[in-house]
Amino acid sequence: MLSKSEKSYIRTSLLSEPPLRADGRSLLDFRGVAVELGVTALANGSARVRIGGDAGSESGGGGVCGTEVLVAVKVEVEDVSGSVDGGKGRMACNVSCSPAAYPSLTMLQLDDFQSDLTSILDTTLGCSSLCPTNLSIIPRKKAWLLHVDALVLADDGNVYDALFLAAAAALHDTRIPRTRPIEYRPNNARSQASADASDDPMDGASGLDTHAMPKATDFELMDYWDEGEPLVCPNGMSWPICVTLNLVPPLFYLDATTVEEDATLTRLLLLYSFSTNSSNTRLQGMRLLGHGEVEANLIKPLIREGEKHAKHLNQSLFAKLKSELTKRIPQIVPSTKRNK
Amino acid sequence: MEVDDTDGGETSLRSKITSPGESLTSSQAFMRGHGTYVEDDEVIASVAGTVERVNKLITVRPLQTRYNPEVGDLVVGRITEVAARRWKVDANSRQDAVLMLSSVNLPGGVQRRKLESDELQMRTFFEEGDLLVAEVQAFFADGAMSLHTRSLKYGKLRNGQLVTVPPILILRLKSHFYSLPCGVDLILGLNGYIWVSKHVKDNEQEGEEGFDAEAVYSNQNDEIDDATRAAVARVSNVIRVLAAHFVPLNDTVLVEAYEWVVEQEYTVKDLLLREDVADALVSAVATARPDL
Amino acid sequence: MGSRVEILNDGGYRSDGRRQFELRDIAIDLSRHGQADGSAMYTQGLTEVLVTVFGPREAKLRSQTIHNRANINVEVNIAAFSTGERRKRSRGDKRILELGAAIKSTFEPVIQTHLYPRSQIDIFVQVLQQDGGLLSAAINATTLALITAGIPLFDYVCAVSSGVHSTHAMLDLTTLEENDVPHLTVAVMPRTGKITLVTLETRLHSDRFEEVFRIACEAGKVLHEEMRNAIKARTSALARAMGEGHPAGAPSNREGDEDFEMGDD
Repeated sequence: MLSKSEKSYIRTSLLSEPPLRADGRSLLDFRGVAVELGVTALANGSARVRIGGDAGSESGGGGVCGTEVLVAVKVEVEDVSGSVDGGKGRMACNVSCSPAAYPSLTMLQLDDFQSDLTSILDTTLGCSSLCPTNLSIIPRKKAWLLHVDALVLADDGNVYDALFLAAAAALHDTRIPRTRPIEYRPNNARSQASADASDDPMDGASGLDTHAMPKATDFELMDYWDEGEPLVCPNGMSWPICVTLNLVPPLFYLDATTVEEDATLTRLLLLYSFSTNSSNTRLQGMRLLGHGEVEANLIKPLIREGEKHAKHLNQSLFAKLKSELTKRIPQIVPSTKRNK
Repeated sequence: MEVDDTDGGETSLRSKITSPGESLTSSQAFMRGHGTYVEDDEVIASVAGTVERVNKLITVRPLQTRYNPEVGDLVVGRITEVAARRWKVDANSRQDAVLMLSSVNLPGGVQRRKLESDELQMRTFFEEGDLLVAEVQAFFADGAMSLHTRSLKYGKLRNGQLVTVPPILILRLKSHFYSLPCGVDLILGLNGYIWVSKHVKDNEQEGEEGFDAEAVYSNQNDEIDDATRAAVARVSNVIRVLAAHFVPLNDTVLVEAYEWVVEQEYTVKDLLLREDVADALVSAVATARPDL
Repeated sequence: MGSRVEILNDGGYRSDGRRQFELRDIAIDLSRHGQADGSAMYTQGLTEVLVTVFGPREAKLRSQTIHNRANINVEVNIAAFSTGERRKRSRGDKRILELGAAIKSTFEPVIQTHLYPRSQIDIFVQVLQQDGGLLSAAINATTLALITAGIPLFDYVCAVSSGVHSTHAMLDLTTLEENDVPHLTVAVMPRTGKITLVTLETRLHSDRFEEVFRIACEAGKVLHEEMRNAIKARTSALARAMGEGHPAGAPSNREGDEDFEMGDD
């Protein structure tokens, strides 16, 4: 909670020429963003994203705390024989917030906030156009259900961008176990092992045929050298990226701290996904948060601006994920080059 | 810094680090102070920190803890609640502090008596979220502190921004109001809340008449030029960096650090985003550090 | 549940290669977390718990204040992904309430609450991963977080789980072992050897209890050493950071008697 004069100090500084923020960043500067993959051993994919926070204070005394979101993906087999949408599998998202991230909220207020976050993550990622194409195990019978569970550990502003970055990174890190459909043949007690797995002793003893066939009734997990195959996002698109535009008419700025958010009336969340060759961009979602209003004719230019910044964010995330997947060592992405 | 604790000598005890449950000395020869308790004739630590001894008094000072107020302390606080004839104020302590209506200066002269109408319009003086600087006046039976703003130096804060640091980094000094050469005023609240604002000339602050209620309870900021805003941001980041490295703060350290940043031509945000700059800043001020 | 894995093989090794009384690796991170007054990330094997402490501070609800001491509020949150099988537990879940109650009753006699009448101390326990020994990890992390917040304690509280497989006692069980073996959690205050918590969720032959209990108390002392080292390392690092720039080993005299006064109770 800020005083009136603090809020007005922040707004006037943003509107002065050149604009000035409390920590010296320019309007479009992000704080440092750190992405770590594979942070929870018991999940099929996971990532931790930190925005801001103390740079290198081993004693960790005072300083700023930053925003920290952890997302873990777990797969579960679901019976989809009764499902109306063809049973291709689905994603279910849930966000929970540590009370430590919101020390001044009561538990009821925290529950409300969690369900707001869950709703935006679930409606965006749960959209059928983003459903990975390789979730089916046995067509119309069994499919993978992806549980995307997010945990907000600290919030010093811009939690939506952090949430979607962490979700995208975790989905990227996710490996779906390899499976093989099998069919039971009652009149053929000793089945022949299929050609591709003839060296697998399990096949011979199972009484099951492992030919991939449409009548398959069950499946088995394959032993393979890796943990499984990556998720395939449909139409070569990326997972959605969120960019929050904090509106101080006639300007907007990015990556607000909690103090800045407190002084900003309106925020526009824009969610984009991009095709891998960057030729195609889709707006996946949009929310207006806060008490203020926005002039209708401003929305279009804002969406165009947002796209630019989302693209930058997406590119740095990809560069980051690439190096992360080869090294699997936590690292910090310098954010300064994302400006302008 | 480990020192054999069988030796109860002054030097060994002072620099020793201890933690809860550790026996410090015999309670027959020494008195227990804060951060200790007595059991079976022994003085035992209850917090982790440095052991300190003054004459026969043994205390353990925790390095990170909420603010522990004393009468006469200068604090910066934020109004959390407006109640009957009083405000509740968050001052980073074990309970919210209390500011009684009778402990503030009211419009119409410092000596004016309180009226019932004052009680009905308390929000025109301070409302929820407002920041103020005040002095610790006394304690209630339950340990909550009461504040007063009955001095022209105290009252509502405008024209700047708040930075918070661990309270232990703010040392008790003769004055907690500083004007830095860069046109920035600082109020170092002993509770770890630091107000960084545009410099206000002394005679503007304390006019001949003494008290301009309009100005004292105003929520409006003055005109602040860009150079001053940049200086406020720079000072704030310097404080954040030093606090993150657990450097005790006073005016000498802050002036030194500010000048170093300007000399090295680092931008305000370099301080927050670049570790090397932060580390270099910390070593640059090492010589200007206050005595503990 | 008949498990295919041998709990203790003929060579005296457990399923993860440990000996009977061998503890899993412990990692402690006490760096500051968010706006908390104190925090500790505690990892024992695959079990990982983050505890943050706020306070003593103004109680959020006036009804929660106690006139002569601080109220301790414990909130437990178990991440849905923390277990092998995903499981979302709501705040009212029985297991969560039990955990919270056990932590609160463990620390009520240990925290010097009488120093802070009408205040509140919030302990937020965030379970990130669990592979056995959840309650003991949460208790150890809470001890550490309270100490980093500078809240006065009579002593550390060090907890460990122990169980018995046929006639062999063993320490620090994994989930797999907990499913198969009668076990208990013991929390001990090392200075006096006082016990602040014993829980037994399964049946255990009374002849076995004494041995299992005894080795758990022994293990508490080992944990105490680990925890104390972590606290001292952090405290010294902060003290050093504050004192840097002074002639080594000669911190100048503070105005001590102005800063600290004799406790008034």
